Amino acid sequence: MGFAFTEENLRELEALAKRYPSKEALMLPALWKVMEQEGFISVEAMEAVAEWLGVSPMKVYGVVTFYEMFHEKPLGRHHIKVCRTLSCALCGQSGVLERLKERLGIEVGETTEDGRFTLSQVECLGSCGTAPVMQIDDTLYENLTPEKVDEILKELR
Amino acid sequence: MSEKVKKMVKITVDDRTIEAEEGAILLQVLLENGFEIPYYCYHEALGPDGNCRMCMVEIEGKKRPQISCDTFVEEGLIVRTDTENIRRVRRGILELQLVNHPVDCPVCDQAGECSLQDYYMEYGLYHGKVPKAEKLHFEKHLDLGRNVMLDQERCVLCKRCVRFTGNIVKTGELGVVERADHSHIATLPGRKLENGYAMNVVDLCPVGALTSKDFRFKQRVWFLTSTPSVCHGCATGCAIYIDHAKTKFEDDTIYRFRPRKNPDINGHFICDEGRLSYKALQENRLREARAESSSIGFEEAAAQMKKMVESWQGRIVVLADANLYIEELEMVQIFANRIGGKLHAPLDAYRDPAFEDAWLKSAMRAANAKGVERLGIDTSMPSSRGEVLLINFNHPAAGDVKARRQIDLLTHRPETFADLTLPIAAWSETSGTLVNEAGIEQRCEQALFPNDPVPTLMTWLEAWDLGERCLV
Repeated sequence: MGFAFTEENLRELEALAKRYPSKEALMLPALWKVMEQEGFISVEAMEAVAEWLGVSPMKVYGVVTFYEMFHEKPLGRHHIKVCRTLSCALCGQSGVLERLKERLGIEVGETTEDGRFTLSQVECLGSCGTAPVMQIDDTLYENLTPEKVDEILKELR
Repeated sequence: MSEKVKKMVKITVDDRTIEAEEGAILLQVLLENGFEIPYYCYHEALGPDGNCRMCMVEIEGKKRPQISCDTFVEEGLIVRTDTENIRRVRRGILELQLVNHPVDCPVCDQAGECSLQDYYMEYGLYHGKVPKAEKLHFEKHLDLGRNVMLDQERCVLCKRCVRFTGNIVKTGELGVVERADHSHIATLPGRKLENGYAMNVVDLCPVGALTSKDFRFKQRVWFLTSTPSVCHGCATGCAIYIDHAKTKFEDDTIYRFRPRKNPDINGHFICDEGRLSYKALQENRLREARAESSSIGFEEAAAQMKKMVESWQGRIVVLADANLYIEELEMVQIFANRIGGKLHAPLDAYRDPAFEDAWLKSAMRAANAKGVERLGIDTSMPSSRGEVLLINFNHPAAGDVKARRQIDLLTHRPETFADLTLPIAAWSETSGTLVNEAGIEQRCEQALFPNDPVPTLMTWLEAWDLGERCLV
């Protein structure tokens, strides 16, 4: 199972190259393109990116595992990211998380059997004023309570 | 002529004045001048990385302690390496290094040559604040391939192994994955180490994270004696230590070869094949003399050899192994002249182009091929015309010479025995000099002193009274 950038993505990356001091510096944009294109970053994709950047695949693997936003396995259709940093933890994040686990029947890091939801905990989402918060895909949900969680999940089902 | 002129400057370290090259790495200068500075990530061959923070020293004029691997020598630098504050800083950093360390020294192969242990005794001696049950756990025995085992829990993330595979052999199999206290050394999923120098990472690892599958659990390092010698795997002549031990009820045994620093030849490293060649060296050794297939005593064997040589009327061909020490070769040369034999040391038998690479491995797989040439010994194969007495000093291609009668002096058991077969001490059981491919002479010390030693080549030739050199 090989990996190749689509022609459009490759064009966009080549265009970006002018903004960076070296090709190796394009590692993050390239990995974002892989995420957009495939939804996750396979070992084959890491090797392809490494070859394109001219670095060792191991270096790419190190970067992929370093950042929370890159995933090595396919995620569910919706990716739920619950903030676990201080403000959210103090404002009732644990109740929100417990309700999510109960409703979805999965633990943190798992994907529901129907492939709809993946549950993760992440560091600060930068919205301490409206804690507790979670981000589902690209949408931020604020001032959460366990009840609100039920409503949000209903909308997404 | 654009040769860089080294500018020497004076620096003061712990009230001692030292001369050092301007711009040199301070840590290296301190180590070379006998100061004891703890460090993990720095290595002379790999350069500084600045990640372990252990090599802190005080520099006058700087507010905070500085890492000496990233400080460069300049005129008038005033350095303190052993103040109360520095000891406190080192102790603090060591404590962080050990936060998730399993402290399984009793079952760890590195025990006895471990920087963590050494520095703990020097700077630590505290009681850990993290209870064992709360420590993070990782893989404890990952087989990385090529005889390298990884224990991720013992790792201090100095990245020496990563830099070795990335910058020196440039195969880049190893890297650090994950983040913060979940960081660990790994290979790409489904991949393993795949270079012929991989076992050097075991020597580079300052702790017990990378151990040799070949050596682990075989011997405690404090029982080992290290004898300086030279690898006989090829004509490169990498400097090595022979690590051996004579434990109770056992004979003197080699447990491993380790690279010995020689900047002119191998730097700090050796190839895996050379490293593991100690096995073939001590396996299947010939220990008794044989007249055809029956075992005879050494004295009788010496007498038979003399008789066979002196009563022979036809041509005599003498073959010499190109792995013999230069002193031995010289003696064989004198011997061949004395008995009127023609000495050959055919080198073609040692050529192995498949072994050669651009770094340390040479296609000439004989340690003293250059020595043979230097002595002017004929390196062609002798012709086997007529009635020939062949006296073979351990040459591997002796079987290709047709001989009427044959005397073999061998280190290892042959498949078939000649008319007379005498055992000789292997290179680890005697001492001498080798000349490598580049013409560099190196001395090999005698490492092994077996309980029942077999005679050296020199001893067998004593019957001819060839002179003082016999006593080398």
